[in-house]
Amino acid sequence: MEIRLVGLTKEFPGDPKRNIPDTVAVDKLSITIKDGELLGLLGPSGCGKSTTLYMLAGLSEPTGGEIWFDDEDVTHLAPEKRGIGLVFQNYALYPHMTVYKNIAFPLTNLKVEENEKSFACIEYKTIIDILKDPLKVKNIILGSAVEEKGNKFLSFIKSKMSKKGGYIHRNHADDENYEADKDEQNTSVENELIVKKAYAVNDLCEEYKISKYVAEKLFKLNFQSMTEEEVTANTEIIVNEYTDKLEDEIEKIEAKGNDVNDKYEIVRNGIVNKINRRMTKDEIDACVREAARLVQIQDYLDRKPSELSGGQQQRVAIARALVKKPRVLLLDEPLSNLDARLRIQTREEIRRIQQRTKITTVFVTHDQEEAMSICDDIVLMEHGKQKQMNHPQDVYRDPDCLFVAKFLGNPPINVFEGTVQNNAIFIGKDKVFTSKKTLKDGPIYVGIRPEGFLLDKEAPEEEKTLTLNCSEVVTMGRDLSLICSSPYLVGERIKIIIDSDIDAKIGDIKFAVRPTKIYAFDHNTQERIYL
Amino acid sequence: MEEKNNWKAWLYLAPVLILMAIFTFFPLINTFVISFMKDYNATTGANSGFTFDNYGVVLGLTERIQGSGVLDTTFVAWGKPSALTNTLLITFVTVPISVVLALFISILLNNIKFMKSFFQTIFFMPYVTNIIAVGMVFAIIFSGSGVFNKIFGLTTSWVSPGSSWGNSMFVLCLYIIWTALPYKILIFSSGLQGIDKQYYQAAKIDGSSKVKTAFKITIPLLSPQILYITITSFIGAFKEYNAVIGLFNRNYTSNGNVPDLYTVVFYIYDKISAGASRMQYAAAAAVILFVIIMLFTIVQMQVSKKKVHY
Repeated sequence: MEIRLVGLTKEFPGDPKRNIPDTVAVDKLSITIKDGELLGLLGPSGCGKSTTLYMLAGLSEPTGGEIWFDDEDVTHLAPEKRGIGLVFQNYALYPHMTVYKNIAFPLTNLKVEENEKSFACIEYKTIIDILKDPLKVKNIILGSAVEEKGNKFLSFIKSKMSKKGGYIHRNHADDENYEADKDEQNTSVENELIVKKAYAVNDLCEEYKISKYVAEKLFKLNFQSMTEEEVTANTEIIVNEYTDKLEDEIEKIEAKGNDVNDKYEIVRNGIVNKINRRMTKDEIDACVREAARLVQIQDYLDRKPSELSGGQQQRVAIARALVKKPRVLLLDEPLSNLDARLRIQTREEIRRIQQRTKITTVFVTHDQEEAMSICDDIVLMEHGKQKQMNHPQDVYRDPDCLFVAKFLGNPPINVFEGTVQNNAIFIGKDKVFTSKKTLKDGPIYVGIRPEGFLLDKEAPEEEKTLTLNCSEVVTMGRDLSLICSSPYLVGERIKIIIDSDIDAKIGDIKFAVRPTKIYAFDHNTQERIYL
Repeated sequence: MEEKNNWKAWLYLAPVLILMAIFTFFPLINTFVISFMKDYNATTGANSGFTFDNYGVVLGLTERIQGSGVLDTTFVAWGKPSALTNTLLITFVTVPISVVLALFISILLNNIKFMKSFFQTIFFMPYVTNIIAVGMVFAIIFSGSGVFNKIFGLTTSWVSPGSSWGNSMFVLCLYIIWTALPYKILIFSSGLQGIDKQYYQAAKIDGSSKVKTAFKITIPLLSPQILYITITSFIGAFKEYNAVIGLFNRNYTSNGNVPDLYTVVFYIYDKISAGASRMQYAAAAAVILFVIIMLFTIVQMQVSKKKVHY
């Protein structure tokens, strides 16, 4: 779905009594987000990016402008009617609910308009279909019980049980030992079955894409403790039973004067009946499991959020946002609570999920690296205004103004006070660039990216015109970082990234500047001067 | 280091500890001891040994004066109002109603924006008002020609001498609920402020209705405060006494009606004021009250383990 923001504005009224002026958090923002695109809203804190997101979500009312979802004006629509999923910065998972309930919560409020259908019929049909290959069911149930994860847990339970058993021994007279032993064996067998069931039901759900209620019914057929012949013989009886039930159900519907088509939808007077209803438990279960699978948290459904790691909580939050199949996914600095390694992993995860679901996504962040690595397009904002919007690499390569140039890139761009004389750019007395265009003489800002410096054998001696004083060489493994200083620098220090093979020494070094890595900006407006 | 400074810590704590020992710990233990003393005389401290009879007298199982055949049924009795049944009634009527009402009011207060602090002040007013004064106001409202009767066009006698037990109890419960509300509202309101607004935003986006949000999000997140309030109100209600004095303000010895409205603590005070030779019964009743409160608190803690989140 395409999202269009037209002149979107948010003003927070000030307080004249306390001398606080009106604050314009978002100023006439006009952006078009293409269908299925991942857009990053990027900017320093206080630039209005989160406010924009909250207006998109409907949690904050715009003071001006419009928001369009395709052809629908949603500017004043309530959040729950917009069909959006929002992942909060600190996830806002309901702490008293399990992961399963957290994910299911949006669905319990959802009303779906659908063709009326007979759920009983569909369930019977599903079971009949699955039982066409009954041995597969048996194998799945048995397979999940002998899997390693099951076994580990089993032996853990067993060790607990035998300890308890030992306790019983000590407290009973000798003649009772036999009884105690028997008891102990019984309880551990019981436990084994429970564990098997939990895993087996889960695996059945995964395999057949069915709800846990249907899976439990399959488990109760008890194929796992039958021989193959018995399974085949039993299946016939069960299938007949379900076929009868199915026919009974259809008869019941027909008795009310309705018909059933091949999808078990209810047809009244030749038209499929539409109803507006809440989702059934089965449907919710299927959706929750699907969302959990997508973000890979199927094994944690019964835990509380506090029992999960930050990364897992984050994935639960995404699952909760995605489970109702929203038209738009909004992410409010979703990675800021994670540690560095997890952050990289999770942002790739977000990208993967977004690519798979093809859902239009807006991602708010102040971390330029995050935005650049996963977004299709980024919007840079400052003081509520849009500064530049394009593909991340294009913005990096071709910044429109000094702010954008400074904001993107790590380490950040080095900015110098420079001058233009005769179409050449000088930093101090060092001539660093000669333009073929006609430039106005006068002071300018010169920005040079950290990777834009050449030294040693990288450049011919006559091109090395810029002299900087190098005070420190920092080894970073793949490359070296030089910390330099210059009297013309705007800011504290110059950071230069060079190849680690180059032998750099402390002291005055002469550099050549790559023509593609140097940018000039107007001294007053800070707009880009194209060289 | 710690060893050396230990005596300093004790020194700083000493004033409080001494005061507490004299006015809290000693009376606690002494009450327990007195409740088992035979023929205790509070003036001289004389007694004639150990007995369970004090409990028997309080519970109406043993005669106070042997051979008289008179059993004291003011503390507990079947088929007529007594201190213990009144107290249990007050507790199980006023606590649930006031907790639910306070919860309801606080959630509503938290949801309005217009005049919020004004209404908060209004609801907190009863807390800073003298409870006896409030009782007198209630007594006037519910008097024969009072506002309550005027509004509903009744001529019922609610609180004046001779009014029925049921009428008096109704006004008493109403009064207790009304005076109990402000503190509960204060605690719930501050608890509600502590709930992260993002849960509500998340619930909004999830399409949850206001009522559903209250039951599925607000109340579970407020459960620690609800537990705290429930336990303290149970204890408070078991100790109810001044409401009866404030509301009915009668010379209970000359009016046959008032013992109907006895509460456990009222009974204890009554026995204390009855003279030096009745002190052991007051002590026994106090110990019984202590045991009852303890049992209820334990039950509530057990229940809360399952119901309170975090």
